[in-house]
Amino acid sequence: MFYGPDAVDIDYEAKLGDPGVYPYTRGTRAPKSRPAGEGHDIIVRELSGEGPPERSNEQFHYLLEHGATGLDVIGDTPTQCFMDPDHPYSKHAIGNQGVSVCRRADFIALYEGIPLDKVSCDHSLPGGFAAAGLFLAAEAHGHGGEVLRGSAILPPLFAEDTAYSSNLPIELHLRLATDSIEFCADHMPKFHPFIEDTYYISDGSVDIVDEMALGFVELREVVRRLIARGVDVDRFAPRIALLVNCRMDFFAEIAKIRASRRMYARMMRDEFGAKDPRSLAINVAAHTSGATMTSRQIANNITRGAVQALALTLAGVRAMEISAFDEAIRTPSKEAHLIGLSTQHVVRLETGAADVADPLGGSWYVEKLTDEMEEKIQARIDFIEGLGDVVELAQQGFFRAIFAEAMVERAREVSEGRKPVVGVNVNEIPLEKDQLLRDIAEERIEPFYERIDQIKAWRAARDHAGVVASLDALEVVCREDRNIMPALVGALRADASMGECIGVLRECYGKPYDPLKCVERPR
Amino acid sequence: MKTDTYPLRVLVTVLGLDQHEAGSLAVARLLRDAGTEVVYAGRFQLPETIATIAIQEDVDVVGVSAHSWEFLHYAEELATLLKAADPPIPVVVGGSVVTPADRDEILAKGIDEAVMPTVTEDEIIATFKRLAAGHREAS
Repeated sequence: MFYGPDAVDIDYEAKLGDPGVYPYTRGTRAPKSRPAGEGHDIIVRELSGEGPPERSNEQFHYLLEHGATGLDVIGDTPTQCFMDPDHPYSKHAIGNQGVSVCRRADFIALYEGIPLDKVSCDHSLPGGFAAAGLFLAAEAHGHGGEVLRGSAILPPLFAEDTAYSSNLPIELHLRLATDSIEFCADHMPKFHPFIEDTYYISDGSVDIVDEMALGFVELREVVRRLIARGVDVDRFAPRIALLVNCRMDFFAEIAKIRASRRMYARMMRDEFGAKDPRSLAINVAAHTSGATMTSRQIANNITRGAVQALALTLAGVRAMEISAFDEAIRTPSKEAHLIGLSTQHVVRLETGAADVADPLGGSWYVEKLTDEMEEKIQARIDFIEGLGDVVELAQQGFFRAIFAEAMVERAREVSEGRKPVVGVNVNEIPLEKDQLLRDIAEERIEPFYERIDQIKAWRAARDHAGVVASLDALEVVCREDRNIMPALVGALRADASMGECIGVLRECYGKPYDPLKCVERPR
Repeated sequence: MKTDTYPLRVLVTVLGLDQHEAGSLAVARLLRDAGTEVVYAGRFQLPETIATIAIQEDVDVVGVSAHSWEFLHYAEELATLLKAADPPIPVVVGGSVVTPADRDEILAKGIDEAVMPTVTEDEIIATFKRLAAGHREAS
C-alpha cells in the first residue's frame, strides 16, 4: 500500500502554512536556527509525586538534576478526589500513587528550592487548587504570580465519568475551570490554567477520533461559558493548551496532533472571533499512553516509549512525558523516571528528529491522514453537539456509556488478536521466564500513614476562628456568583484545607459537605 | 435452596478511593451480556458497605475491580466480613495492577480468587460462574 500525489489536495496556505503561521498545522512557532543536535526547545519532564510533599520535592530535585526541564506533579488518589489525608476513606491511599497535598504548607514544601521563575510546573491536581497552591508557594518563596509558568489540567465535563471523580456536580467543575482561567489571566499571565487533557479521556478506552472529539466538546463548552460571561476571548485563549495521549499508531498520532492544531486555529478565529494570533495557536503537550504499557515483557515498554517519543517529536509537541516502563503496575520507580528522561534526550539530541520543524509535512500519507483525522473528529463533534446541551448529556450518562463501551472494545481487540501486542498476544513467554525488570515494577509503595496524625495535629493547632471566617467568605463569594479564586487563595492562606474548601463549595451547589458522611464543616 | 433456573447474581464494585471505574463497568457489562444479574455499587465503597450490599442483595459473588493498591490493605477485612455471611459469599478481585505476588498475598488473606491483567473475557466469566456455583451449593 502506498500514497501518491493524487491522494491528497494540498492547498499550502489554507491547510498548512509555515510553522508559526496560521492555521498552525505545522507547529505554533517559527523554528529558530540552532546547531544540529541541540534539538528544539521541548520541555522534558516526567510525571512525579509520591508520599508527603517533602519526598516529592526530593523527586523533583532528582529529576531536574538528571535533565528534566519542567516538572509534572500528580496527586495521590485522595488529593485527586479533593479529600484530605485524615478523611477515613483516604487511609490506604495516602501518598502511594502520587503526592499528598491538602494545604498551603504542602505546596510550599512541594516547591522548596525549585526555581519557580525558571522551571515550568505542570499539575495533575484538582482544578483551581493547583493554580491557587502554586500561587501561594511562589509567594512564600519570594516570587510574584507573573513569573509562574506551567499548567493545570481541568477536566470539568468528564471528570466524574473517568478517573477524576470527586463527587462534584459538573456545574461546580465548570465553575472551578472558568474562574481559575479568568483569575490566572490577571494574576498568573504566563501560566496555562486550562489544559484540555484528552489523555485522561482516552487512555484505556476511547479511540483516537473520540479522544479529540470529546476533548474539543469539553474545551468548546468552557470557551462558550467564558465568552457568555463577558470575558474577551483574546484575554484567555492564548493560555489554553492541549495535553494529548500518544499510543502506538505512529502516523495516526502525528496526524492527530497536526489536525488538532489546524482545527483549533480555525475554530477560535471563525467561530469564537479571536483576533490575537496567540489565541489561534494552541500549544500541544503529550503524555505517552500508560495503557500501551504492558505488565508482560516489561522491558518492551522502554521500546514503546521511545517510538512514542519519536512520534511526538516529529509532530512538534511543546512538552512531553514518557509513561514509565513500570506504569502498567505501579507509579514510576526512580529507575523508570531516569529511563523516561533519557529516552527523551536520546530522541531529541541523537536522532536529528527535533532539528527541523514538521519534517513529515508534505508527505502524501501524512497529509492525507491529517485531512481524514480532521474530517472524522469534526463529524463526531457535530454529532455530539447536535444531540443537545453537552452538560445535560454528561449528566444523563451519555459519555459514561461511551467510555464503558470503548473499554470493552479495547480489551476485545487485544484478547481476540485483532490488535497485536508483543508479549501479550504475540511472541508470548511463560510468566515464570518473564522476569526482566519485574523486581522493580512489582515493588510496592506503602501508604504514608504518618500523614494522618500530622494533619490531625495541624488541624487542631490552627486559628480556628480564622479558618471558619475564610470558609464563610468563600461561601459568600460562591453564592454571589463572583470569581471564587481570590477567596479560595484567601482560605488556603488562612489555613483552611482543600477538603474543607471543596466541602463549602459543594454546599453552595446543593450537595452535602462530605458525600461520604464522615467529616463535618468547621463552625 | 436456590436452583439453576435463577440467573447468577453478582455485585460489582470498586474499593476505597480507587478512581478507575472503566474496568468495573466493562466487567459489569461482560457479566450482563453473559446472562448474569449485576448489582452495580460503583466507586467509593469500603469493606463494610460492600458486605452490607452483598448480603442485602443476596448475591452469589462479589467482584472487586482493583486499579490502585488499596485492595491489598482492605483484602483481609473484606474477606472476613463476606465469610461471616450465611452462607459465605465468595469474592474475586481483579484488575490491571494485580501481580502474582499480590494474588498470593490476598488469597492468603481469604479472598477467594484474584484475576490478573491479560485474562480473557471467557476466563473472567468462568471464574464468576465457578465461585457462584460453590455459593449456590452451600445455599
